[in-house]
Amino acid sequence: MTKVLMKGNEALAEGALLAGCRAFFGYPITPSSEIAEYMARKMPKMGRTFLQAESELAAINMVYGAAATGNRVMTASSGPGISLKQEGISFLAEAELPSLIVNISRGGPGLGGIQPAQSDYFQATRGGGHGDYHIIVLAPSGVQEMMDFAMQGFDLADHYRIPVMIMAEGTLGQMMEPIIVREPVTDLPPKPWATTGCKGRKPNIINTLHLSPEFLEERNLHLQHKYKLIQEREAKAETFMVEDADLVVAAFGLMSRIAKRAVMDARQKGIKVGLIRPVTLWPFPEKAFQEAAEHVSKFLSVEISMGQMVEDIRLAVNGRVPVEFYGRIGLIPNPEEITRQIMKIAQQEGWV
Amino acid sequence: MGSINIFAGGYGSGKTELALNFAINSDSQGQDVVLADLDLVNPYFVSRQNQTELKAHHVKLLAPSLKLSFGDVPQLPPKLLAEVQRENQLLIDVAGDDTGGLVIGYLHRYLQQRDPVNLWLVINPYRPFAQNLYDIKESVKQFEDAARLPFTGIISNPHLAEETTADVIRSGHQQVLEYAEALQLKVGYLTVREDFYEQLKPEYGSLLKSIKIFTRPAWLQGD
Repeated sequence: MTKVLMKGNEALAEGALLAGCRAFFGYPITPSSEIAEYMARKMPKMGRTFLQAESELAAINMVYGAAATGNRVMTASSGPGISLKQEGISFLAEAELPSLIVNISRGGPGLGGIQPAQSDYFQATRGGGHGDYHIIVLAPSGVQEMMDFAMQGFDLADHYRIPVMIMAEGTLGQMMEPIIVREPVTDLPPKPWATTGCKGRKPNIINTLHLSPEFLEERNLHLQHKYKLIQEREAKAETFMVEDADLVVAAFGLMSRIAKRAVMDARQKGIKVGLIRPVTLWPFPEKAFQEAAEHVSKFLSVEISMGQMVEDIRLAVNGRVPVEFYGRIGLIPNPEEITRQIMKIAQQEGWV
Repeated sequence: MGSINIFAGGYGSGKTELALNFAINSDSQGQDVVLADLDLVNPYFVSRQNQTELKAHHVKLLAPSLKLSFGDVPQLPPKLLAEVQRENQLLIDVAGDDTGGLVIGYLHRYLQQRDPVNLWLVINPYRPFAQNLYDIKESVKQFEDAARLPFTGIISNPHLAEETTADVIRSGHQQVLEYAEALQLKVGYLTVREDFYEQLKPEYGSLLKSIKIFTRPAWLQGD
């Protein structure tokens, strides 16, 4: 099959269309804008809806309304825009509306810059809005996964009735790789809860205001039960040369591919080092780290941030093994500097 | 007043790599070679990231001023109009799609004073929106309407990044030839990565031009 050379943003947009996304609501922001542009070019011709909203707040609330009708819908933005969407995401989580939210992330805080970053990790995994909620967060590492995760994201969203976020560094949105374009999804799951007109049945009500304290608690317990299920079933990580490793590097997204280069370089230098790449950022794949903690003497978290995922690794291993951190922001750490960090640890530990 | 070569086409068709290569390999004939980086969409993978290489080949770079080079605002280099009206060999790398056309439309009346003005349509048929004649024609019309200039030729740039093979180039180029016939435009060059040049030279002769890759991070190549 002939491959197509796609930008990450284009692949993600095409993946969403293949998954049956009926409507896109968004407001452009670098480095995510190509998603909106791709949708604007394609959706009207397919009889679907592309709408440039007047703001990010409007866009996320349009997602709320359209998702309530049972259609597959999405929005995309970058850090500052995702911050604006947080109220809406909290509402989507409580109303249990399946939806896809994409963060092609750039460096903050504030307006920050438009260079790639992973510093929205806390916001994505802790739930940046109010209340006790989580969303599923997927971190693709290449352009093919931008397409595949968009499709899987909609499936997970429908299955668990939960907003799903795809978070990718700006570079992954902008860079091109050859990929296989998947087959379109034709069979979508039924959504008996959706507000589709109540002729002949009881009305479906989608609402997040619960004034009865008992009912509010019941809703929260229901959500927590669902999150526990998702944690048990959906946490996903990839491991590379971890079995005999003394040191395990952890990195997600595009960063994990750069880190893998460094791991291979360090192996050549005789260091027993491996890699864990969390594929889901929430739920965090704790098991992969707990299993590795049985035999490694150190973890090294490499991030395009000032250190965020490193906290989840520390929580996962709960003090059994020290977890170090190396990160930059504005610039992506290159394989050589990660290798230097690995060698530094190797010297401290007396492996070389 | 010297030639102008404008590299236009869809996002990711290869404009920046081509502009860099044409600038560096330019036969200056005693004139200044000026590369204008007019990609005002965003500063990911743009000519201005290769200043050292350009300097080494005595190519003058016109780009958004240093302080603004990572700015997220549409901006053109301040000396652009001066360079367009000077004696030089000017290469222009515009933004993708019709956004690039807007800039050419703005320069339209100054460009008329120059000869020749080569407005190249860069096509990589493995890109989205370059896979059928309908999409190509739509892109061409959008660009020409904004630029107020017709394309004068096509540069065929078929590749699949690290997964490129000689056959990928051959069948992609065949596709571009079909577009060229339908658009009634001449294919001026078939551009290929350096390592395919010797192998394909006997087949394509002087149409073939060897391209060095500048904007791809080393850690992506040979992944």
